[in-house]
Amino acid sequence: MKNQKIKISTKNLNVFYGAKQALFDVNLELEEKKVTALIGPSGCGKSTYIRCLNRMNDVIDICKVEGSIKIDGQEINKKDVDVNLLREKVGMVFQKPNPFPKSIYDNIAYGPRIHGLADNKNDLDQIVESSLKKAALWDEVKDRLNQPGTGLSGGQQQRLCIARTISINPEVILMDEPCSALDPIATAKIEELIDDLKKTYTIVIVTHSMSQAARVSQNTGFFHLGKILEFNLTEKIFKNPDNKLTQDYITGRFG
Amino acid sequence: MNNKEKEIFLRKRYSAEKRFRFFGISSIIIALSFLCILLINIFTNGLSAFSRTEILLKINFNEKKLGINSSSTDKEIKQANFDEVLQDALLSLAPNAPELKQAELMDLVSIDATTELKKFYLKNKDVLNKTAEVAVTLSDDIDQVHKGNFPRDIPEDRRRFSDFQLKIYDEQSSKNKIISEFNWPFIFNADSREPEIAGVGASLMGSFFTLIVCLLLSFPLGILAAIYLEEFAPKNKITEIIEVNVNNLAAVPSIVFGLLGLGVFLNYFYLPRSTPLVGGLVLALMTLPRIIIPCRAALKAVPPSIREGALALGASKVQTVMHNVVPLAMPGTLSGTIIGLSQALGETAPLLLIGMVAFINVVPSTPLDPSSVLPVQVYLWSESAERGFVEKTSATIIILIFFLAFMNSFAIYLRNKFEKKWS
Amino acid sequence: MNLTILSLIAVFSLSCYFFGKSKVLKQTKISGKKFHSLPEYYGYYLAAWCGLPALIILFFWSFSELYIVKLFILSDFRADPSIDENKLNLIFSEIKSIAEKNFSGTIPQNLVPYVEKFLSLNKILELSKFAVIFSAIIFSLSFAYSQILKNIRARESVEKVIRVVMFLCAAIAVFTTFGIVLSLLFESIKFFTAVSIFDFITGTNWAPGRAFVRDASVQTADVENVFGAVPLFWGTFFIAMIAMCVAVPIGLFSGIFMAEYASRKIRRIVKPLIEVLAGIPTVVYGFFAALTVGPFFRTIGEAVGLNVSSESALAAGMIMGVMIIPYVSSLTDDVINAVPVSLREGSYAMGATKSETIKKVILPAALPGIVGSILLAISRAVGETMIVVMAAGLGANLTINPLEASTTITTQIVTILIGDQSFNNPKTQAAFALGLTLFFFTLVINIIALNIVKKFREKYE
Repeated sequence: MKNQKIKISTKNLNVFYGAKQALFDVNLELEEKKVTALIGPSGCGKSTYIRCLNRMNDVIDICKVEGSIKIDGQEINKKDVDVNLLREKVGMVFQKPNPFPKSIYDNIAYGPRIHGLADNKNDLDQIVESSLKKAALWDEVKDRLNQPGTGLSGGQQQRLCIARTISINPEVILMDEPCSALDPIATAKIEELIDDLKKTYTIVIVTHSMSQAARVSQNTGFFHLGKILEFNLTEKIFKNPDNKLTQDYITGRFG
Repeated sequence: MNNKEKEIFLRKRYSAEKRFRFFGISSIIIALSFLCILLINIFTNGLSAFSRTEILLKINFNEKKLGINSSSTDKEIKQANFDEVLQDALLSLAPNAPELKQAELMDLVSIDATTELKKFYLKNKDVLNKTAEVAVTLSDDIDQVHKGNFPRDIPEDRRRFSDFQLKIYDEQSSKNKIISEFNWPFIFNADSREPEIAGVGASLMGSFFTLIVCLLLSFPLGILAAIYLEEFAPKNKITEIIEVNVNNLAAVPSIVFGLLGLGVFLNYFYLPRSTPLVGGLVLALMTLPRIIIPCRAALKAVPPSIREGALALGASKVQTVMHNVVPLAMPGTLSGTIIGLSQALGETAPLLLIGMVAFINVVPSTPLDPSSVLPVQVYLWSESAERGFVEKTSATIIILIFFLAFMNSFAIYLRNKFEKKWS
Repeated sequence: MNLTILSLIAVFSLSCYFFGKSKVLKQTKISGKKFHSLPEYYGYYLAAWCGLPALIILFFWSFSELYIVKLFILSDFRADPSIDENKLNLIFSEIKSIAEKNFSGTIPQNLVPYVEKFLSLNKILELSKFAVIFSAIIFSLSFAYSQILKNIRARESVEKVIRVVMFLCAAIAVFTTFGIVLSLLFESIKFFTAVSIFDFITGTNWAPGRAFVRDASVQTADVENVFGAVPLFWGTFFIAMIAMCVAVPIGLFSGIFMAEYASRKIRRIVKPLIEVLAGIPTVVYGFFAALTVGPFFRTIGEAVGLNVSSESALAAGMIMGVMIIPYVSSLTDDVINAVPVSLREGSYAMGATKSETIKKVILPAALPGIVGSILLAISRAVGETMIVVMAAGLGANLTINPLEASTTITTQIVTILIGDQSFNNPKTQAAFALGLTLFFFTLVINIIALNIVKKFREKYE
C-alpha cells in the first residue's frame, strides 16, 4: 500500500450544513487507478465526502467545507480554484441515472462540446463512439444515437451517464451509489464496467451494498456519524476489521 | 488542443458566463426601475393633491347684504345669497382695479366659495354684522401655481390665469394670507367639474359597495366550489368540464365579463345600470375562479393523514372535510380571497361597459345607487384637460395603491403567520 | 319586496333550526327515544326544508315576473303590425320607467292606462308571490316535521343537500362560460345577419361611427363597408407583439436569474417586488403611458426629427410589456424550479458553467413550460384593455409604424359601449362580435397553453 501513488488526499476535512456538522476531521488518502469503496450507514457522510472531491457541495447554498483537499498534491478547496476545470478532471456519476433530455449522441457530446475537446464533427463522433464503447453501451445503442437518452432502460441510462462522464477524459470518477436504482442484472454490468475502468481511472464509489464493495474495490473506508472509523484494504476490512463497529456493520448487526 | 488554445477557450466560456449573468441582473434592474419610475412619477404628481390652498378673506357679514337677520332659521340661511359679501371681500383686495379686472378677481376663488361662507356662518352665527377672517378655497389655477405644479413664467396668453391674478396672489402670499391645509374635501366630496372641489368620496363608497357585493358572492361560492372540486368531485367527465372551465375563466380577459354583464344582467335581467350591485356581480364572476384556484391549492396542501384520521373515527366525509380539513386550509383560502378581491378592486374595463362611468356628483348611500369606483375615477379624470385633475388622478391612484398594498400585505401576513408547513 | 321576503325566509329558517334541535333534544329526554343523528342535524334538516324550496321559488319567480308583465302589457301593441320587436321593447321600458317614476320628460298620455295596468299587475304578482312562497314553506315544513318524528337519517339528508349545493357552486363556472358564449353569440348573430361575416374578417375599413343610425333602417351598402375588422386584429396583434418584445427577454432573464443565480435572500426580496408590477391596476399603467411615456416618446421623436404621435402603439405596447414581465418571470421561475436538481448536478459534474447548464440543459428541459407561460402572457396582452384604451389611440390605422396611433379589439369594444348606447343597431352588436372574436382567440390560446404547462408538470412530478 505504501508504494502506491496517492491521487487524492484530504486532511482535517470538516463539512457543515448550516449549523449542522456533517463531516468531522476526515483524513483519507486515495490511491491512483484503484477502486476505493466508501461504506457506512445512511446519513454517515459518505456522499457528502465524495461531493467535496469535485466541489459539488458548492451548489448547495448553506454548505460550508473546511480543511484541505489535495488532488495530485494541488489544493482544490480554495476560492481561486476553477471548479469547472476541476470537474473536468474529476467526473461524477449519480445515484439516480440523470441523462439530459437530449439524444444519446448529444448526451455524450455535451462534455466535449463545452470543454472544446473536439475540433470537428469527426472528432466528436469518435469521442462519442469510444466513450460509449468504454461504457459497454455502444452495441446496444449504435443504431439509435438520435433517440432521446431518457428512453433507455435504467441500467442503460446509468451506463450512458458513465459514458458521458468519461467522454471528457477525467482522471478520477466519483460514483455516488451508482447501482442503488438498478436491478441485479444491470448492477452486475456496471460492476463489470467499473472493474474495466479502474485500469484508466481512479474510482471512488459510495455504496450501500457490502457485497458490492467487496466485489469491486481494492480499498474500503468505513464512515460512521461523519467520521472515518476505518480505512484499509478491502480484504482486511471484510475479513478482519480492527474496529468493533465496522465488524458489526459488515455482519449486518446495524445499518 | 494545446494549453494556449485551451486558455483562450476557457476565457471565452467565462466571458459568456459573465455576459449571461449580466443580462439576468440588468433585466431585474430594468424591471425594478420601471416600478420605481412609475411609483415616483405617481407620488410626485399626486401628493400635492392632499393639500388644499385657501385664502384668508376679511368677510363682512352684513345683515342687509345677506338678507338675513339673527333670528333666521338654518333653512333661510341656506337659501340666502352670500355672493355679494364675497364679492366685496374680493374687490377689497385691489380697491382700484378697473371694472374689466373685477371678473378676474372673482375667479380667484372656487365657485364653491359661497357654500363655504354659508357653512362658516352656520357654525359662527355671532359674526353677523361683524367682519371675520374666513379661509376660502382658491380656484384650481391659483392652487396649482401655489403648489408649484404650474410654471408661472410662461407667456400670459398660454396660461389659464392672468398677470393681474398672479399679482394679487403674490401680494396676499407675502401677507401670509395664503394658507395650505389637509385636503379633507378630496377624501369626502363626490366628483365635480371643478378640480378644486372634486373628491373621491363617491368612488370610495362605490368601490366599497362593489367590493362588498363581490365578497359576499364570490367568497362563499368560491370556497364551496373549491371544496367540492378538491374533496368530493368524482373523477368523471362533468368534473373535468368544470375544472377546464374554472382554469379558463381565470384567464379570460376581464372585458369579456363586462360584455356578459351588459348582455345578461342589464339587458336580460333589467338590473339597474351603473350600480355597485351589478358591478359587484360582474366582478364576483370574474373573481370566482381566482378564488377557487388558491383555495384548492390550500386544501390540497392538507395532508391525507388528517382526513384518514377523522374518517377512521367514523366521521362522515362531510364532517371530516368541514371539521378537519377546511379549518386547516383557512389561512391559504383567506389570503387567496383577499388577493382575488384586490384584483377586483383594481379592475376597470368590465365596469366601463356596465355604465359605472357616469359623472357621479352625489356620494352613493346604497349598492343600488349609481356610482363610480376608484379605478374608473382614475380613468375619468385622466381624460380631463385641467391641470388640477392630473394631480387628482395621481392622488386617486395613491389611494388605490394604498388599499391594494394593505390588502396584499394582509394576505401575505395571514399566509406567513397561520399557514402550517406540512413536512 | 324581495328583500323583505328574503329576510323573512332567513328568520324562519333560523327559528326552524332551533325548533328542530330543541324538539329532538326534548323527545330524547322525555321518552328516551334514540335518534339516528345528532340533534342539530334535525335542526339543519328542518331549516333546509324551510328555506330551500322558498328560495328556489323566489329565484325563478323574480326572473319570470317581468316577462309575464311584459307579455300582458304589450299584448295590445302586438296586434299592430307596424310595431316591431325593437319598438315594443322601447315602449315597455318607457312604461316601466314611468311606473317607477324614473321617467324624465313629458309623459306620453297614450301610455298612462298601461302604466296603471302595469302597476296593478305588479301588485297582484307581488301578493301572489308572497302567498305562494309562504304556503310552500308551510307545506314543506309540515312534511319535514313528520319526517323528523319518523326518526329519519337527518345527517345523511343534510349532507346530501350540502353536496348538491357545493356542486351547484362549482357548476357556476360552467354557467358563466355559457352565459358569456350565449350573450356574445346572441348579439353577434344579429350583427352577422346585417354584415357579412366575410366582410367583417377581411374588410380593412373600420368606421362604425358612420353606421350609427337611430332606427334600424340601415342602408346595407353603408354597413358593409365600415365594419372591416382587419385593422383592429392587426393593431391588437401589433401591440401585443411590442409588449412581448419587452416582456419576454426581460421576464425570461429575470426568471432565470431568480431561479438559478440569486441567493435565497435576494430572491425573497426581488421576486415579490417584481410581482408588484402585476398587482398594479392596469388603469394606472394606462394613465402612466398616456401622460408620461407617450409625451416622452414624442419629445424624443421631435429631438431626432421623427413624427411621433402622442398616442402610439409603441408607448402602449411597451407599458403593457412592463405589466406582463412578472407573468413571464414568475412562470419561468416556477418552470425552471420544476426541472429536477439531478439534471443540474449532472451538468455541473461535467464541469459546465452555470450559463452553459442553463442554456443547454435546463432551458431545453423547461422549454414546454416556458412556451406555455409565454402563450398565457400573449393571451393577457391581447385581452388587456385599459392601457390601450388610454394610450394607443382610436384611429383604425393599418400601419406597421409603431410611432403612429393604433387601435385594438378591446379599445373598440370600450369606445362603442361606453356611456349609453341604444341596442339593436349594428354598431353596438359589432362590439359583441368583437368580444366573441376576442373570447375565442384567448380561449384557444389558454387551452393550448394550460395543456402544455400541465403536460410539462406531469413529466417531472
